[in-house]
Formats: sequence, structure tokens, C-alpha cells
Amino acid sequence: MSEAIRLEDVSKSFGEYEAVKDVSLTIEKGEFFSLLGPSGCGKTTTLRMLAGFEIPTEGRILLEGEPVEDVPPYERNVNMVFQSYALFEHLDVADNVAFGLKRKKVAKDEIRKRVEESLELVSLADRAKSHTNELSGGEKQRVALARALVNEPAVLLLDEPLGALDLKLRRQMQVELKQIQREVGITFVYVTHDQEEALAMSDRIAVMSDGEVVQCGVPEEVYEHPAEAFVAGFIGVSNLMEGIVQGKDKVKLASGQSVKAPLPEGCDKGEKVQLSVRPEKITLDDFERGMVTLEGTVAERVYQGVNTQVTISLGDGASVVALEQQTYRASADDRWEPGAKVKLGWHPDHCLVLR
Amino acid sequence: MDGLSLQWYQEFFNDSALRDSLFASLEIATVTMIVGTILGTMLAIGLVRSRAKWSPGANILMLVPLVVPEIVAGISALLIFSQVGLTLSIWTVVLAHITFSISYVTVVVRARLASMGTETEEAAMDLGATRWGSVRLVLLPGLWPAIVAAGLLTFALSFDDFVLSFFTTGEDVQPLPVRIWSAIRFGPSPTINAIGTLMMVVSISAIGLALLIPRLFGRRESGVKVLTAAEGG
Ligand SMILES: Nc1ncnc2c1ncn2[C@@H]1O[C@H](COP(=O)(O)OP(=O)(O)OP(=O)(O)O)[C@@H](O)[C@H]1O
Ligand SMILES: [Mg+2]
Repeated sequence: MSEAIRLEDVSKSFGEYEAVKDVSLTIEKGEFFSLLGPSGCGKTTTLRMLAGFEIPTEGRILLEGEPVEDVPPYERNVNMVFQSYALFEHLDVADNVAFGLKRKKVAKDEIRKRVEESLELVSLADRAKSHTNELSGGEKQRVALARALVNEPAVLLLDEPLGALDLKLRRQMQVELKQIQREVGITFVYVTHDQEEALAMSDRIAVMSDGEVVQCGVPEEVYEHPAEAFVAGFIGVSNLMEGIVQGKDKVKLASGQSVKAPLPEGCDKGEKVQLSVRPEKITLDDFERGMVTLEGTVAERVYQGVNTQVTISLGDGASVVALEQQTYRASADDRWEPGAKVKLGWHPDHCLVLR
Repeated sequence: MDGLSLQWYQEFFNDSALRDSLFASLEIATVTMIVGTILGTMLAIGLVRSRAKWSPGANILMLVPLVVPEIVAGISALLIFSQVGLTLSIWTVVLAHITFSISYVTVVVRARLASMGTETEEAAMDLGATRWGSVRLVLLPGLWPAIVAAGLLTFALSFDDFVLSFFTTGEDVQPLPVRIWSAIRFGPSPTINAIGTLMMVVSISAIGLALLIPRLFGRRESGVKVLTAAEGG
């Protein structure tokens, strides 16, 4: 695969405020690439620099190898799907989709053919003559997508395209978007603050915080091996426990217990670290060989259908959350009453030491 | 007077001085509408879309004509015209009316502009339209109902304006309202009633159209409400 986009040390300031700091990324052709991060971390600003609506204060942006920092939006071979859809209300669906092709002076017959095809692609062929304000939110979303895809851009930029939809429609559109992306093979750069969405759809994810990319990798890597406490906390739920390095692969938790944990290279005795363990990796009252085990008191139990969320206090203010599957062996309703003593454990492999 | 009759309307059209005044008023209103709407729309786009330092100041300045008593505006206009040595004629009336109508147009168009946001223009540019192309192909069509409404309101306001016209008109042809006022001084006449009815019909049709057009375009907000509120206040 060759590269579609390369960002080299890109920064963007608005006056004094630095919205994007020193971002370097390479996005491959045909990749579904997500920018994930909390509100205000600079995702939209990064995307707008790719589209050409903002000019980077520093750094270089290469589109298929060509520098494009100073190329205006209408001369870049990228298209954007806006969060508000930004459909042209005075045009019908087909004319909305044809807008880009008309600007490029494509022949009439070809425009008609391609508009039909792309409306077909988003299953809206029968709405070609509809007025845009007759459409539902999901349909508007599809028109916006068709309007961008019909131009066959090198890269499609999407800024929280599903943000305005209800949860059910959102799940459905996620699947459809992913299918469409596979079908057309165009590089997608997808902005979202929904970590589940990013994990489910992306080939790779760049996690942003405060204008910086803190980790970039495939979903499994970002989820299983978060590089920083921020990533561990932002993606999925994580139990973060304070501790002090005691010796080789030994950490003493702030709540007093000593546990085995795989220390990263160069951790010194006495160094402060954080242990991160995913709730679904913690088992209660049911252990295997080689597991770390601790004792605690059940502080809270929340029945969630598929599983039960149990909060266990470790003493000294520290607590962890465990997610227990409802199995045929044991139902949750008579176990782990609040106040009960409980043993919990996890495999050292599932514990991550963050410095 | 007995029974219904169109006699007084006929009388009005036979009176060449009154007829000239009617045409003068229509001319003033038409020119005011066209020029005022173009300038007002440009000002609105500039005020909303530019991030210039002066735009908050200009925003306030623009509201001044809406709150200044018309008589003050009329006298000020007269003073300026005589200072710069302009001969009073229907063109000085047009000038005064345009100055005034720009604010009305700007208020109406700006309301619509603000509700449209910038994303559709960006979408147009993203799809290959130049800056000017995005204005022509997306911004203006979106603003169109508000622009038409503003234009028609300007027409109605200009057509039946008396105070401003009174101070700024010359002797030759007087705008209709001024003409009527001079005629009334020599006692009321049924012809005047006929003209009054005519003027009302013209003004109401213009305002009616202004309210109707945005609805025909299927838009809910056109800023007309803002204008009627501003006028009432
Ligand atoms: N034109 C601008 N002028 C000044 N500051 C801006 C501008 N655009 C963005 N910012 C600031 O830059 C920061 C990053 O904004 P950005 O829109 O990129 O965030 P985001 O990650 O997309 O957030 P969200 O998830 O809320 O959309 C914010 O603090 C914002 O206030
Ligand atoms: Mg954003």
C-alpha cells in the first residue's frame, strides 16, 4: 500500500491558543482511519486542515505525495462530510449530489449516470427528486455521503457524521458506512469522540488529547496496550491503581497489597506507577493458576443484563470495577451482596503498568 | 356623493400633476428597492462573514437609522444636501430613501444569514466552487427569499414615506405623499380619498408579497418578523 496522507509536524494556533500541536501521521491508501479524542482536542481542526479550510501555522501536509498546505479547498482532491450535513436546501437530492461534478464540467450524461450510481450506493435511488427538507436525519446523512463520494476523491473526510443520529440508526449507519468504504475503496479519515464507534469501524485509530496525538495504532493495540493513562481511561473503562515499584515485577499498591505485574523496561525501585486492568479481565471468586489475587469488600453491584458490574473497595479509598458475565453456572442476583467480602483476581498479563 | 363610482379615480388619472407624482413615487420606490437591497445585502454578508475589527461597531451604527426619529433624519439629509450643494429633486429623495432602507435590508438579510451558518458555503468550496462561486451558487439562493422580502418591504416603506420625502424633495415633481399633503391644505377632495385607497393597495400588496414569498419558498424564518418588530418599536 502507498500513502494517501502524510502530516509532518503540523501545528495550528488560533491567536495564542495552540489547537493542534506537532502532529505527525501517515495514512495509507484505502485505510479507514479514525481521529478519536474528547471534545476540544483538535480533531475538527486537523480535519479542516486536510480539507483546506485552515492553513497550518507550521508543518507540512502531503496528499498523495504532493504538498497541499496552501492549496485552496476547491482545488484539493478531498471531500468532506459535515456534521450538520450542510446540504443545499434550494436543490433537490440529485442536484445536491451533482454539484461537485458540475463544477468540474463533467459531461451531462456522465453526471446523470454517476449521480444515479452513487444514490444507488447509499440506497436512495428513489429519492432523487425529493427536496432535502423532506428527508429524515439518516437520509440527509446518506445524501451528504453520496454528494462527497460521487466525486471519487482521493480521501473522504468525515466529521462526526453520525453524531446527530439516534443510537439505533447510528449502529446501522456504522455498518453501512464500513460496507460502503470497502466497496469504493476510498481512504476515509473519520473524526469521532465515540470510542466504541472508532474501535468497531477503524483500521487504525489516532487518539488525540489536547491537540496532540498520544497513540496511533490498530484498535486491538490501542485497547489492549494503551500507551498512556489517558488512553487507558478514554478507551473503554479501565481500573487505574496507584502503586510503587517494589522489585522485579513486583508492585505495592497504594491500598497496601503487593501484586505481580510486568514492569516496562527501566523501571526503578521506588518509582510511582499506575496499574491498569480492564474490568472484564477481573474475575471474582473463581481463579486460575498464576493469577494475582486480592481481597476486598463489595461496595456496589449493578445488574446490566448481559453482565453485572461490581465495584470492590480495596481499602484506603482505592476501588476497582469488575464486569462479571452471567453464566449458566451462576446468576448474579444472589452473589456479591454489598458489604460482602470477596476475592478478586486477574492474570498479570492483563495488567498494564503505566508510568 | 351617491353610490359607488370610479369617477374620482378617473379624475386622478386625468390630473397630469398627480399622475406625474404617482410615477415619480413609483420610480423612487423602485430605485430605492433595487439599490438599497443590493447594498444592504452586501453589508449584511460583510458584517456576518468578516472577522474584521470594525464589524461590531458597524453593527451598532447600522441600527441607528432604525431608531432615529424620521424628522431628524429628514432635516439631517436636507442639511447635508444643501451643504454639498445638491439641487433638491427626486434624486435627492432617492438618495435619502436608500440611506434609510439599507438598515432595514441588512437587518432582514442578516437574520437569515446567521441562521444559515457557514458550513454550506464551505461544502460548496469543498465540492469545487470558488469563493465567489459559493456565494453565487449557495449563499445567494439560500438568502433569496429574505432578499426578496426585504426588497418589497423597502419598496412599500419608500412608496408611502412622507417625512423624509418632504424634506428632501424639490419643487418640480413631488412624490405622491408630499403632493397629497399640499393638496389637502386646500381642503379635502374625493380624489384624495381615491389616491389614498390606491396607495394603500400598493403598499399592502408589497408587504403581503414580502410575507408570502418566503412561505412559497418553504422557509420558516426570513427575518421579516424581525423587521416588523423593528418597525413597531
Ligand atoms: N476558528 C477558531 N478560532 C479560535 N479557536 C478555535 C477555532 N477553531 C477551533 N478553535 C479551538 O481549538 C480547539 C480545538 O477545536 P476543535 O474544533 O478542533 O475540537 P474537536 O476535537 O473537534 O472538538 P469537538 O469534539 O467538540 O468537535 C478548541 O478549544 C476550539 O475552541
Ligand atoms: Mg469537532
